[in-house]
Amino acid sequence: MRRLVDIVLLFKEYLLLIFYVLISLLLLALNDAPQIRTIRSLTLATIGAVESAFGFIPNYFELRSENTILREQNLSLSEELIRLREAKLENDRLRQLLALKERSPFTYVAATVVGKTMHLLQNTITLDVGEGDGVRPNMPIVTEGGLVGRVLSTSSRYAIGQILWNKDFRASAKVERGRVDAILQWEGGEHLSLKNVAKTQDVLIGDLVITSEYSTIYPSGIKIGIVSKTSQTPGALFQTIEVAPSVDLSRIEQVFVIMHTADSARVALEQKHTK
Amino acid sequence: MRKPVARRISFYVILSLILVVVDSTLVKFLSLAGIVPDILVVWIVYIAIREGQIAGTTAGFFIGLVMNLMGMTESMLGLAALAKTVAGFTAGYFYNENKTYNTLGGYQFIVIVAVASFVHNVFYFIIFLQGSDLGWTRSVLAYGIPTTAYTAAIALLPMFAFARKYLS
Repeated sequence: MRRLVDIVLLFKEYLLLIFYVLISLLLLALNDAPQIRTIRSLTLATIGAVESAFGFIPNYFELRSENTILREQNLSLSEELIRLREAKLENDRLRQLLALKERSPFTYVAATVVGKTMHLLQNTITLDVGEGDGVRPNMPIVTEGGLVGRVLSTSSRYAIGQILWNKDFRASAKVERGRVDAILQWEGGEHLSLKNVAKTQDVLIGDLVITSEYSTIYPSGIKIGIVSKTSQTPGALFQTIEVAPSVDLSRIEQVFVIMHTADSARVALEQKHTK
Repeated sequence: MRKPVARRISFYVILSLILVVVDSTLVKFLSLAGIVPDILVVWIVYIAIREGQIAGTTAGFFIGLVMNLMGMTESMLGLAALAKTVAGFTAGYFYNENKTYNTLGGYQFIVIVAVASFVHNVFYFIIFLQGSDLGWTRSVLAYGIPTTAYTAAIALLPMFAFARKYLS
């Protein structure tokens, strides 16, 4: 204490100067004159530089609580980051679906896939829309990528959809470039098969396959997939053609049900003629 | 034999107030090409040489503060207090208890007034011109140095008066 008093007495002139200067600067800081803004910013920069220079000195009394707070913030931010990533992905998917809805002449009902069976021969998806939303059996299910399948059955709030990877799936399809008609079906694996395509018909790898106007369930022109393999077996009448679906059926989360049902007059006439 | 402290302080306070009023009312008539002497700096230097650095610094602060509070300087409250505090502190460096009369009655007084006035003007213009397009160097050359010279010239009057009274 005595030493401190000695130091104060030794430097009293300087301490007094600092005291008066600080009061003067404080008064200046209370001004609204435009010159003061620069002084304030310079003062803040100086204080910031001093704090930064002495920032390496840890405050052991606050470190513990600071660490706890930082951990809590870290956890909270991590959770928020996950939520934001999910929201972004969902937003991207919905934007793509919205683009599809805007360019199509059909009426759509948006649906979320709430259930899947992907390990059976009769793979299906469960949608969170049903009869209450106007969904009926045989309505096509699509995404912005192309055809997913069709509605098999409905309840008031849910619908079961048959996807392309189902052994009962059949669709009239057309190879867009060569205008070749065929029957599309699934025989296991990730690819589909185009049936009844004669060896003489023009089908090449990379050709786009779409739904045909002959289909009574699917509107024509819906993208199904791309021809990924063609081969010809000696002695056989038809080609073996594999089609890669344009929709990744294992990852679908949001879909649209097209409010489209078969033309009953056409179906009745075709059935009458067949009999 | 020096007067009691309380009496001396009262003398300095009263005369300081009078000089503040004079500075704000009459000194402008001494203006030469827009340059006016700072008689309060002369007074602060006198106090610093007579009483020491602490007294000079304190006198500078309070005289500047009174000027600000009376609205005699521009709207920047604290600016005159700061500049005059530094001027008083600077003048206090030249305090020598054994040579007070010689200093006040000799050319040293003019030199000290010039140094203190120059420091005062530098501080004043550095802050006053912040944020403006005018460079403070240019302003010090255009106004600070002429003001310093004029103030030093005015300081000849008290110097001669003091020399005549105490040194002749």
